[in-house]
Amino acid sequence: MSITLHQLTRRYGAVPAVDDLSADIPTGCFFTVLGPSGCGKSTLLRMIAGLEPVDAGTIALEGRRVSGPGLHLAPEARGVGVVFQSYALWPHMDVAGNVAFPIEATGIARRAARIEAKQHLASVDLDGFADRRPADLSGGQRQRVALARCLAARARIVLMDEPLANLDPHLRAAMEDEMAAFHARAGATTLFITHDQREAMALSDLVAVMRAGRFEQIAPPQDLHDRPASAFVAGFIGRGVVLDCTVTAVAPGHAVVRLSPDICIDVRASDPGIGPAQVLLRPGDLRQDPAGVAGRVLHCTYRGDHWEARVQVPALARPVLVHLSQRAVPGETLGVAFSGGWVLPAG
Amino acid sequence: MHRLILSTLAALALSTAAYADVAGKLVLYTSQPNEDAQKTVDAFMAANPGVTVEFVRDGTPKIMAKFRAELAAGAPQADVLLIADSVTMEGLKTEGLLMAHPDADISAYEPGIMDAGKAWFATKLITTGIVYNTAAPVKPTSYADLTAPDVTAAFMMPSPLASGAATIHMVAVTGTDLGWGFYETLAKQGAIADGANGGVLKAVAGGQKLYGFLVDFLAIREAAKGAPIQFVFPTEGVSAVSEPVAILANTQNPDAAKAFVDFLISAPGQQLAADMGYLPAHPAITPPAGFPARDTIKVLAFDPAKALADEAANKARFTAMFGG
Amino acid sequence: MPTETRAVPTPWSGLRRLTGAPVLLGLIGLAGVALFVLPLGAVARLAFFGTGGGGDAIADALRSPQVQRALWNSLDSSACAAALAVVVGGGLGLLIGLTDLRGRVALSFAILMLTMIPPHVTAIAWMQMLGPSSVLLQALGIAPALGSTHPLYSREGVIGLLALQQVPIVYLTLRAALRALPRDLAEAARVSGAGPARLLLRVILPLLGPALLAGFALAFVSALGNFGVPALLGIPGRYVTLPVLMWQRLASSGPAVLADMAVLSVIIGGLAVLAVWAQFRVLRRGAVALIGPPQQALRLNLGRARPLVAGTLWAVMALVVVVPMLAMLATAVVPTYGVALTLQTLTWQHFHEVIFVQAVTARAFANSAGLAVLAGTGVAALALATGALSRSSFGLGARAVTVLAEVAYAVPGLVISVGFIIAFLKPIPVLGLSLYGTHAIILGAYLSAFLAVGLKPVGVAFAALDPALHEAARVSGAGFWRRFWRIDVALAAPAAASGAVLVMLMAWNEVTLSSILWTRGTETLGTVIFNYEDGGYSTLAAAMSVISVLATLVLLGLLHVLGRNLPPGIIPWRG
Repeated sequence: MSITLHQLTRRYGAVPAVDDLSADIPTGCFFTVLGPSGCGKSTLLRMIAGLEPVDAGTIALEGRRVSGPGLHLAPEARGVGVVFQSYALWPHMDVAGNVAFPIEATGIARRAARIEAKQHLASVDLDGFADRRPADLSGGQRQRVALARCLAARARIVLMDEPLANLDPHLRAAMEDEMAAFHARAGATTLFITHDQREAMALSDLVAVMRAGRFEQIAPPQDLHDRPASAFVAGFIGRGVVLDCTVTAVAPGHAVVRLSPDICIDVRASDPGIGPAQVLLRPGDLRQDPAGVAGRVLHCTYRGDHWEARVQVPALARPVLVHLSQRAVPGETLGVAFSGGWVLPAG
Repeated sequence: MHRLILSTLAALALSTAAYADVAGKLVLYTSQPNEDAQKTVDAFMAANPGVTVEFVRDGTPKIMAKFRAELAAGAPQADVLLIADSVTMEGLKTEGLLMAHPDADISAYEPGIMDAGKAWFATKLITTGIVYNTAAPVKPTSYADLTAPDVTAAFMMPSPLASGAATIHMVAVTGTDLGWGFYETLAKQGAIADGANGGVLKAVAGGQKLYGFLVDFLAIREAAKGAPIQFVFPTEGVSAVSEPVAILANTQNPDAAKAFVDFLISAPGQQLAADMGYLPAHPAITPPAGFPARDTIKVLAFDPAKALADEAANKARFTAMFGG
Repeated sequence: MPTETRAVPTPWSGLRRLTGAPVLLGLIGLAGVALFVLPLGAVARLAFFGTGGGGDAIADALRSPQVQRALWNSLDSSACAAALAVVVGGGLGLLIGLTDLRGRVALSFAILMLTMIPPHVTAIAWMQMLGPSSVLLQALGIAPALGSTHPLYSREGVIGLLALQQVPIVYLTLRAALRALPRDLAEAARVSGAGPARLLLRVILPLLGPALLAGFALAFVSALGNFGVPALLGIPGRYVTLPVLMWQRLASSGPAVLADMAVLSVIIGGLAVLAVWAQFRVLRRGAVALIGPPQQALRLNLGRARPLVAGTLWAVMALVVVVPMLAMLATAVVPTYGVALTLQTLTWQHFHEVIFVQAVTARAFANSAGLAVLAGTGVAALALATGALSRSSFGLGARAVTVLAEVAYAVPGLVISVGFIIAFLKPIPVLGLSLYGTHAIILGAYLSAFLAVGLKPVGVAFAALDPALHEAARVSGAGFWRRFWRIDVALAAPAAASGAVLVMLMAWNEVTLSSILWTRGTETLGTVIFNYEDGGYSTLAAAMSVISVLATLVLLGLLHVLGRNLPPGIIPWRG
């Protein structure tokens, strides 16, 4: 089922948590809302689930309006599944009871519901856990019970509210794979909320970067990384530095920008105008080259399979980030070559 | 309820049988001590196996307050009243709240002790006199003895706000030459008026107080059980109440109620009272041990009609002195 | 791969919502009106606008020397008793909550026993322990002289026993606060170089200030409404408090004085509400936010003083709890009050009398047991419904009921009783049914006076629940009633049960409410004991009290055993 949001607004007092937001999420899409805490992403999820009324605008699920002026369909009637950040497993029911609950809610007898619930438990590899209490499970197992409960509800829309935030980092990677598998198996339209860009990148078909109640950009993960729409998105996703520059020449998909009287580089761009602009330089757009411009190393951090150096090129207003294969000592001078970049769209 | 209707029908059909087969439930509101009330009720039920009697017991003013509250609620509970004094009964009678029992046989009793209209019936003679702890330094024999400051300081009396007998006692004593001045002296010198007769018994027997006004039967009976107390019939005379019984006009079970009244004023009923330690109202029944002969007891005179008229004023005057 | 969507029954959803929360709101609203608005409103209406009421009547009452004296005595006794209770209960709380004293659970139980034994029974027991004819004191040769007034029949006696009754309230409040106190705070003080004394004075006591104040306010309000102690000790001591004055007037004059009662009710009720309000104000201003999770309290080492402290505590508890009970037992087995207890005078006749002869005993036991169970379950049900409602869009209704219940809890029990009499004395219109003189009116008064006790744990439980648990059920497609039974009720049931247990114990032991509501057939344990003692039948009162205390002990033992299979926190002294 598709989700259509039209000029959606929700205010707490005078402050809008979600501000005139519109989006169209196609059926079957894994759609991630990425943003810092307090940007309104949880409010958005709760409005779609029906747990929160809307102040203005409409929500339609598969073309059917569920929220709007004078209209609020109760959550239990929307047929959406939600995976809560805390998983919200009922502590007084065993695992099978938790999963059977949405089945019972459709009017099926308790015993039959339990049998069906066990099938869903099997599909998340929790065969032997039917009679356990949620308190006796590990974090990952609880997560899977929550997913099984969504499966049991046969929801065609699944809303996930930072479901991985409470897991250990090493477990997160494993659960990311499970999430992907779950999405593939259920085929449901999934709205995934997170503040972790790595999760968003790994899982999504589409990512919406949210800031102060609005979507800054909706794009596939790679576009978001390579072609951010604003300095905020550029700063929020991946690593890199935004510098002021002047566009001196333009070609389709390309532009030449001048960073300083001495440094002019050929970068990607989408139809910029001639004149002042901002350019994003990712570490991949620079490399160490003795023939390049000289810069002084300010700081050097180990990033796993490479070193990341903050290098101050005297002509530039800000230090740039360069990947090194070996450690550099602060104060050391090294040469930097510019091989690309992205001109941020104006406005 | 079903049983009640059946029994009423049965009683109507057999009205000539002089209530021999009365049945159903009867509720008694009484100021008798719990044990005596239970014994009375048990003896009646043994004689009338078809009747179940339940009783509620409290001091006369309190039980009357409860009765009035239920009357106001439109849910009166009581069928029969057995309370300390005839003054209250006279009041109820003039309000039309009592049911007369014209067939009652009162031929054996002295005239004047019973209501001529047969609305209420005396069941015994309860006098109020002086009680003292046997360890007390003074053995009072008259009301005048109580005004000695040492005695008054250790003196206690039941409050007319809680006891019907105490109300009559107050009226009777202030009606003598002693007058209200006697009560004023007591109050000034630290005498206490509180609760009903049971409280006075407890205080004097327990030694917290050494002297008190008390009804005769409680003092004589408990002394016989070993309580360290002695009862005195003061030389000026005692006040007396007759613990009258009456049927309430709104009774659900008039036949059983009449049977209960008949039982109390019958010779066996009077013998039961004597056995429990009361001076019986019936002149032919021998008083229990510990009582002087009937004709040696000097009873103070008092006017019930005047007492009824002055009741509120008397109580207010008393409360002002003793603080309730 | 399951692909079909289960149909959502859209046409039903609207109707379902109508029969969901609004129905619950209606039920709660009905209960709120019947239990609080009608009775308390009736008191206020009669006091302010009725014949014999109004501003002049209130002014007249306040000018009457009798009322002035009673009002002063009420304030004086409650304030002094509360202060004393804070010192004793607070000291016990600190000693037991902060040190490595042994047998803390047993000591807690012993302290709680002070509330488990009803005030009128406590008063009777102490009267019989300390009077001139005390069997115990006579044996020790230190009995007061004959003819001297009982030492407890005085202002000091009333205050002392009231304080004793309130000690557990302060103790429990303080222990709860100590448990919520992060251990880090104390440890930070220790590593900063503070010894135990400095730690106590500079860190712990200031942080416990709000709890001590709350304990004082609770004790004050509870003492203000206490009837059993001042009735049994204050009347003979000519130290009449306002509730006793009200009872005296009502008991000896009946409904003729209802307007008078309403005026006095408004005075004392207003006082209680004012006290609670002041406490809230002060607490809000003085509140210190505690950062950090609650932890195991710290255990200060008492060192070599430990056995001495423990011994003293146990000796005091024995003197305060056990000895009065023994004195009461001694009174129950002598032929008549004032007779010395010897092997020759020993008799069981009073037990025989109350158990086998007095028909009222069995009725009272049955009434009290039935009323206690009904009050407990009724309060639990109302609390669960209110809690569930507070999570719905009708939260305002739940809050209103909670506030009303808090007011009714603060208001002295006698005021509640007077309210119920005024509201339900006359038959209910249309139905033509009179509640006066039925069990229902006493049950109603219990529900009204004790609902706050049940609301508190349930409210805490609902507040502590992750709201997502409820929302998960909504998005799982569960309608209102399915959520209510399967999620709300199931999750809050242990808290509701703990409230129910407390209410049952309170109803089993109470005398204040039923003392003016009882009538034939609805006698409670409390009223029977009180009437025996008030009528002077001390030996019967003692025998009945002994039986009632034994029954309470059996009840507590049963709960203790049952408590093993219950989640922690339901049985107050466990966990």
